[in-house]
Amino acid sequence: MDTVIDAHNISKVYNPETIPVYAVNNVHLHLKKGEFTALVGPSGSGKTTLLNLIGGLDKPDEGNILINGIDITKLSANDLIDFRLHNIGFVFQSFNLIPVLTAKENVEFIMQLQRINKKQRDERIKQLFKEIDLEDKLNERPSKLSGGQQQRVAVARALASKPKFILADEPTANLDSKSASNLLDIMDKLNREENITFLFSTHDQRVIDRARRVITLVDGRIVSDTAEVSTKHEDADMKH
Amino acid sequence: MRSMVIILSIAVGLFAGIAVLALYKGMMKSRVRTLIYAEAGHLQIHDSNFKKDYDPRYVIINGSKIIKEIASAPGVLLAAPRSITQGMLATTTGSAGVQINGVIPELEYAVSQLKRKIVEGAKFNSAKKNEVLIGKKLADKMKLKLRSKLVLTFTDSSGTIVSGAFRVAGIFQSDNAPLDEKNVYVDIKDLNALLSISYAFHEIVILLDRDEDVSSIQDNLRRRYPGLLIESWREISPETDLLVKTTNQYSYIIMIIIMIALAFGIINTMLMAIIERTREIGMMLALGINRLRLFTLILLETIFLTLAGTPIGILAAWLIINYYNKKGLNLSGLGEEMMSSFGFGMIIYPEFPIDKLAGVLIIVIATAIISCLFPALRALMLQPVVALRR
Repeated sequence: MDTVIDAHNISKVYNPETIPVYAVNNVHLHLKKGEFTALVGPSGSGKTTLLNLIGGLDKPDEGNILINGIDITKLSANDLIDFRLHNIGFVFQSFNLIPVLTAKENVEFIMQLQRINKKQRDERIKQLFKEIDLEDKLNERPSKLSGGQQQRVAVARALASKPKFILADEPTANLDSKSASNLLDIMDKLNREENITFLFSTHDQRVIDRARRVITLVDGRIVSDTAEVSTKHEDADMKH
Repeated sequence: MRSMVIILSIAVGLFAGIAVLALYKGMMKSRVRTLIYAEAGHLQIHDSNFKKDYDPRYVIINGSKIIKEIASAPGVLLAAPRSITQGMLATTTGSAGVQINGVIPELEYAVSQLKRKIVEGAKFNSAKKNEVLIGKKLADKMKLKLRSKLVLTFTDSSGTIVSGAFRVAGIFQSDNAPLDEKNVYVDIKDLNALLSISYAFHEIVILLDRDEDVSSIQDNLRRRYPGLLIESWREISPETDLLVKTTNQYSYIIMIIIMIALAFGIINTMLMAIIERTREIGMMLALGINRLRLFTLILLETIFLTLAGTPIGILAAWLIINYYNKKGLNLSGLGEEMMSSFGFGMIIYPEFPIDKLAGVLIIVIATAIISCLFPALRALMLQPVVALRR
């Protein structure tokens, strides 16, 4: 499989001159295309910071992050914005839809930024709303949608730009169990059927159970990664 | 709600700006109307030496013939003669320097609305001799009442000091208090007899059909009567001309002051909008909106809100100004004395400044754009990670 995310030795330090706090400490992370990965750990373990660094929303103090071979730590602010637009999809904990726009407009907004023509936009919106099973809510404002529906629209928005991968920060945190399960079904389906790469931070055991790879962070360090365990098992099997 | 605040701010600012311009336009028009129709006329003709020291010898030669020619000229509404001299008004209690105007009553009533200005007493009685109309301010100052006697002293055309006893027939009050204090009106026959100038006179006051014809008719008259001094109201009353010109500039200064206040309102509201929408802006930055687009977005939002408020402001201004244009706006609350000392009437008829509307719109839109720069720059400085945490 192709490597999508290749992070080497990345660290993020807050208050470096007074009492340094390592939010992310010397992390190495490799994510391949089509992975469905959960980033878990207690509060303050650095999950969101790591997602922000990988998403190019923040810069690491040390290390490099290569997305599809491009080192995003070396991009200028404007290039980074453009890079995010074309390569990374975001799903936020609190949905963050634009309240004055309809569900359709919220999704279309990203494609307008990408200067995709109207016909292509309409086709993509139709397809995306079918995938998230909200074809009847196209023209509803976010305030008229449930939390689960809003988060599904946020997933459609993240997918609209055809990103290389999607970063989701606690996507089920504000959802009831039925909505969370529904959302996970959609994300799982997109991952299996369309080979879309997901990396999400979560506390939610239901999400962890559905993930095919689980990375555990404690105090900014990766303390376990199920992919490494699998690889070790695979290596052992090969030797036998 | 926030958008409504900006729309209303723009509407109120625009309304205030237009209202100020309308009020000033109304005041200036009122002042110019008063000057032309109640004081000086559109044009005045004198002997070229007369105005140097108001020597009564300098009558208009062939005045009767000239006034007939002018009165029948196209574009001329009315031409009236006046005999004028500077003299002393004396009563038993005191004296004051005055300008004595000898007038043909019926013509003067038409040319300067003298009859309409009479607040006590009556117009000239043709059966009586040596009647005088005096201004209220002068009457108060000299403690003169109706039927009071006074003596007017001046030099005649030969330089001899002459006096005449006159009786107050009426007291007038115009919108111009200084004029009321310095002018008295007597019948031209009575004055001419004392001045020994028989049927001659010193001044022709001309009213035209249209204000726009002043320059062309003035030029024609200058060509036709090269020996005479022919002046327009602007030359007769340069202070009024200057007042009109400077008031135009003042009205823009006041408008700019209003706009500065409006700008602070817009800055405050847009800053609130940015603070309220910090997460939304952070999200847009995270998703990939570039800073130029974000700046344009905020700019366009302000411009659209301005454009939404503009018709409301203009419509409100148009309705209210038109209402007061018909009914008149009573400014006596500002002080009757003060208003009349500047030659303004108490009732002003504001006029919608259609000629200045484009300028006003440019100022308002520029204000809105300049005001949103600071909030827009603040939004541009937001870091997505920080903004999303809010």
